Order: sequence, then structure tokens, then C-alpha cells
Amino acid sequence: MKLDNVSFSFHAGQPIIQNISADVVPGSILSIIGPNGAGKTTLLKLMANQLKPTSGQISLNDQFLAKMTRKQLASKIAVVSQQNHLYDDMQVIDVVKMGRLAKHHLLATVEDKEVLPYLEMTRTSSLAHRAMSHLSGGQRQRVWIASAIAQEPQYLLLDEPTTYLDIRYQSDLMAVIAELHKKKNMTIVMILHDINQAFKMSDQLWLIRNGRLIAQGAPSRYYDEKLLSDIFNISIHIVTIPNYGHYIIELPADSF
Amino acid sequence: MTKREIIWYSLAVLLLIVSIWVSLMMGATPFSSSQIFSAFSGHNDADLNILVQIRAPRILASLVCGGMLAVAGAISQSTFHNRLADPSILGVTGAGSFLILIAGFLVPAFPFDKMIYAFIGGGLTLLFLSSKSLLQNSFKLIIIGVALSLTFSGFQQLFSGDSLVGTSTFNGITWSDTLTLLITGVIGLVAAMILAPWANYLKMSDQQLALRGVSARFIRFWLLAVVVYLSSGATAEIGVIPFVGIIVPNISRYLVGHDYQTIIPLSMLIGSWLLLTIDTIGRTITLPGEIPAATIMTVVGGPFLVWMLWGQKFNEVR
Repeated sequence: MKLDNVSFSFHAGQPIIQNISADVVPGSILSIIGPNGAGKTTLLKLMANQLKPTSGQISLNDQFLAKMTRKQLASKIAVVSQQNHLYDDMQVIDVVKMGRLAKHHLLATVEDKEVLPYLEMTRTSSLAHRAMSHLSGGQRQRVWIASAIAQEPQYLLLDEPTTYLDIRYQSDLMAVIAELHKKKNMTIVMILHDINQAFKMSDQLWLIRNGRLIAQGAPSRYYDEKLLSDIFNISIHIVTIPNYGHYIIELPADSF
Repeated sequence: MTKREIIWYSLAVLLLIVSIWVSLMMGATPFSSSQIFSAFSGHNDADLNILVQIRAPRILASLVCGGMLAVAGAISQSTFHNRLADPSILGVTGAGSFLILIAGFLVPAFPFDKMIYAFIGGGLTLLFLSSKSLLQNSFKLIIIGVALSLTFSGFQQLFSGDSLVGTSTFNGITWSDTLTLLITGVIGLVAAMILAPWANYLKMSDQQLALRGVSARFIRFWLLAVVVYLSSGATAEIGVIPFVGIIVPNISRYLVGHDYQTIIPLSMLIGSWLLLTIDTIGRTITLPGEIPAATIMTVVGGPFLVWMLWGQKFNEVR
């Protein structure tokens, strides 16, 4: 996926994304990090063609997203949004089956066995016939991921997949995502709140501030206290933990 | 099918068969079961005439009509994300009925079938109601729907001296009316069964559907077309019958859960049973007079709806 000088604003308002040019390396895990209001979610929506750039172009395999049909997009890009609302209750397996709509025509019947692998990959097989409303937040999030990968996309975009989850569910979910990436060779783009998670999991980082791409590249290059402090506008320190490596912590400016 | 579904489906079918039989027996000339058997085996032509020419079309008409209204209600509820969104409450059937009346004045030659006017009236109303701002605000939708429905009812009264509700009856229905209703109903109900999975798809937001390559507008358009077709088909032949489309789908949901592929067929069965029962009671309780099905439905349905919403018996009714 290639972003070429992409900008976005709502109706002549303040620009939310400004002149971003970048490549997503196929098969990599890319994390987008930056403070609240930096434009991360907007950027992800642009990459999913949910929003159209005010100027600039986004292309996938040399094809402009804006020129692709809804169906073509759905079979290449899947999105797990931050909030996934259902108007009425559904069974887990039916939510996952809906991902298959990207591959079938609208009146097709999707067999149970067609979606079993996706349930398995997201460790939700045992929940298949449970109602969504009876699941915990972490389980529900895994079901939405299962539904997204049922589209068999090349790109999986996740908007803060670990928000609302406690620490254990967070690491469970991250393990699921890492496994998916390995097994399916899916390119994963995610917005992560937890900087350390982002640094540990990703092959590539995009650091965003005020709608601009400040830096991009391998995480190892950005264990940089000054750069991170600038981006997040707080005092950031990097400590080294034995058998773990670098760990980023934020401290009030007067602590040292 | 789950065990629960099998139980409720079997019960509904059983209840339906018993009610059809009872309804054949009851009326101005009551029959015993053995009299019905002997009439059908050709031993009593006068009895057979009553059964085949008077009771059978009426029973069939109420069955088809009940099924149509209940299924229209179920689909309407799914497209509006609102469990109160029934064509009769939203003014869809009222608009159809009103347009039939107006067309009678303006185009006395009546070049088209009533069904077409009912379809146009209902379709325009639904088109108006499915605007974006109403889809996002269930309160507004219902209030505007009720206002529309009362407005049409008022106009109807103004032009004909008749109120919209209360005159709709199966009394005097002929085989030819019944056959029209049957053909219309079967086509619409088959379409509803085929499109039932789409009603489930609409549980996801439009954005979620778009991400899966599906146009929510396309789905909504065709489902609403089925709603208008079914409800105006029934309105054109019988008139407005309120509450069937709101109560029956909620009962079905309460019995078998949230999957429209099971809610819709069960609603059809229960709707058929309900309208047949109401009509049978209406035509026998005050013999030799009779109470129109719409009147009983209003009198029974109103309080039932209040009870249903009040007690939160049918959880999450929004």
C-alpha cells in the first residue's frame, strides 16, 4: 500500500492529515503511534477508503483505492474498528460468517465449516454458538477480528484493538494477532496506545503528530527519548530491563 | 434447528390446524366435526356450500393476511432497527388506504388495481421515513410515523366519513378476492423468506457492512420493497389492521431468539393464527352481528403492546 502526499480535512476545516507519503511494506506489522487527536484513526480510515483524501492518492498493488469497488476493497482490506456496535444480538458464528460476504454474492449461504478456521485462529471456536451480548470485551474483540480475517484480506487494519481490555486480554489478543500475521502472512496495520507494545510487536512504526508523519521505520531506530518526548509532549525516559530490553516510561518532568 | 425452535414451530402449526378446524365449525350455522366430514364427503350440499363458498375463503384470507402483516412487521423492525416500527404504526398502510380512497374520487374509472395505489402510498411513506435523520433516531421515527398514520386516518374520515381503523373486515370476502390475496401473499412471503438473511445483516452498521463489501442501502431498499408489497397487498384487499406487525414479531423473538431466519417464518405462522382467531371470534361473538377484525385487534393489541413495553417482558424493546 502506498500513500502519496495524502491530506484530509472536513469541509474546509482544519487539516487533520497533512501531506503524508509512506509505504506499507507487504507482510509487515506496522503500528501507528502518536498522541490523542494526532489523526491516527482518520489515517486508518483513509487507508480503508472509509474516508476519501482531500488531496493525494492511496494505492494498493498499483491500483487507486478510490477507483476500486466496495467488493474489491473488502476482499483486500479488512478493518476492526474501535467500536463495533450491533443493533440486535447475533450468534458469534453469524458475525464471523458475515466476513465471508466479501467473497460471496449476497444471497449465498455460508456453511459453518467455511468459517471454522477463522474461529480457531482467533481462539473463539468454543464460543461459536454463544450470543455476542454474553461475551466479555476481550472475547468480543476476538470475534470481530475473526469476522475481519474471514474476508481473507491482504491487509488487516486494527484501530486500538486492545482498548477496554485488561492486561491479560491485551497480551492474549496480541498473541492472536502475531499468530495470524505469521500463519496468513497478512499485512497488519494497527493503532496502538501502548508504546511498548507497539515497539515490541512491530516491524515498522509510523510516528504521527498533528496530522503529520514525523518519523517512519524500524522500532529499534526510535528508542529516542527526545523524539518521543517531542511527539507525546511529555517527559519520556527509556530504561533497560534485563532479559527484556528497552522499556519506555513516561515521567513527570521534575522526577529526575 | 434448535430444540426450542422445533417446539415452538410445532406448537404454532398445531395451534393453526386446530384453529382452522374450529373456525370451520363456528358461525351463524354451527357444524360439528362429523357434519363437516359428511359435507366434504358429498353428503350434504347445503353445508358444503357454506363451508366452501363462505367459510373457506374467509379463513384462507385471514390466514394469508395475518402472515403478510406479521412478516411485513418483522422485516420493517429489522430495517428500522426499531422493534416498534410496524407498517400500521408508521402510517404506511394508512397512506395506502388513503390513496385508494382518493383514487376512487379522482379516477372513478379505476384504471388500476387498488393494490397499485396502496403500493404507491405505502412506498412514498416508507421512502420518506427511511431518510437518514429518522433512521438514526428511533424516537423521532415512531412519533413521525404515528403522526402520519393519524393524519391519513383523519383525512380518510374527512373524505369518507369512515375512520381508518375499525372498518377493515373479512366479512363478505369472495373467492376471487381471496385468490388475489393468496397470489399476492405467496409471492411476497416467498420473497421475504429468501431475503430473511438480509434482515440479519442489517444488525451491523452501514459502515461495517460497507467494509464487508455490502451496500446497506441496497439491502434496505429491497427489504422495504417487500414490506410495502406485503402490507399494501393486505391493505388493498382488507383495509388497515393494526398491531399484528408489531406484536407478533416481538412474540416470535421472545420465543426463538434473534435470528430473522427463524423469526420471520414463525411470525408468519403466529400472525396467521392470530388473525384467524381474532376474525373467528369477531364473527361469532355477537351473532347475528359481527365485530370487524381490525376493531378487535385494536382493542386487544393496544393493551397488549402497553403491557409488553411496560413490563420489559420482551427485553430490549427499543
